[in-house]
Amino acid sequence: MLYGLIVFISYLLIGEFISALLAWPVPGSVLGMLLLFLTLVIRGGVSDSVKQSSQQLLPYLPLFIVPASVGIVNYMDLIQAEGHIILSAMLVSLVLGIPVCGWLAQKAMAKVPTAEKDKTGGA
Amino acid sequence: MLHWNDALNAVWHSPYLGLFLTILSFQLGLWLFRMSAQKPFLHPVMVSVTSVCAVVLITDLSFERYMESAHMISQFLGPVIVALAIPLYENLKALRQYWLPFLLSNVLGGAFTILVAVGMVYGLGASEMSVNSMWTKSITTAFALEVAPQIGGMASVAAAIIMFTGIFGALMAPALFRLCNIHQAPAQGCALGVCAHAVGTAKALEFGGEQGAFAALSMSFMGILCAFSLPFLLGI
Repeated sequence: MLYGLIVFISYLLIGEFISALLAWPVPGSVLGMLLLFLTLVIRGGVSDSVKQSSQQLLPYLPLFIVPASVGIVNYMDLIQAEGHIILSAMLVSLVLGIPVCGWLAQKAMAKVPTAEKDKTGGA
Repeated sequence: MLHWNDALNAVWHSPYLGLFLTILSFQLGLWLFRMSAQKPFLHPVMVSVTSVCAVVLITDLSFERYMESAHMISQFLGPVIVALAIPLYENLKALRQYWLPFLLSNVLGGAFTILVAVGMVYGLGASEMSVNSMWTKSITTAFALEVAPQIGGMASVAAAIIMFTGIFGALMAPALFRLCNIHQAPAQGCALGVCAHAVGTAKALEFGGEQGAFAALSMSFMGILCAFSLPFLLGI
């Protein structure tokens, strides 16, 4: 658990370092995630201890976003005034967006050669 | 002689109270979510945030005092975002032959759904704060909490938008799939991941493993894409 946490925080700090160095407005955590991902691709695998830590930590991700989300109590006026606009925009973008995203993927899939599909179809 | 008032005060002003409320309400949310066979409206985050908000609004516990205690939970957000690299890497093999449909759905479909939402709030005359907070609607909350402030949005407003988008997306997706004849697993997964992020990914896993993998990939990819593009496009 601790070993993985050290790896994650190291990449987080590297991400923050690079982001500050280049004066990029990109969050250090996201940059760190991308760097860890690239490391895994180059290494061609995940070590067991790092994988185990991620499996222990990731189920609690939803818990970690709760405190910041509670900050909405400071914006009750905004919700009261514009909640209906936000809600309708959200619903319209879903009703249009879900079919469009699915349709784009499905159209492009039809172009993938069948032979290739069969090769790995069961995998 | 027992000091009831002092004792209750000590608990109410304890630096552990916010931490306790957060974990307690989240555990309650987990129970409700499991008992209800994972109804999206009883998502643990929804239950937890609503209960803590109620306590903050009703009692004299201010948000600032709550956050002083609960912020130690927030600090895990950074390391856990980095840890998302592992499932991203492990799901990668699902992309082998479907990388093009995946990219099209994420980049074009993602841009479409974001622009529709942002265009609508802007066109209906919402404040700059709402418009800016809408840009992050298609990325998972963990990412949005970090991206929203970079583009003049409000983290908590963005989080609320994302929570409801995820819930409504997961609720509406099955009907929309049937209506629009979207039956291929990768297409369903991409649509759920792009439009309904984390809640959508949970829903996708109910459809099947392949849907789940594509949803998880889409969720992470959209997060990375938006985190790298939005601050440069809209940066303040």
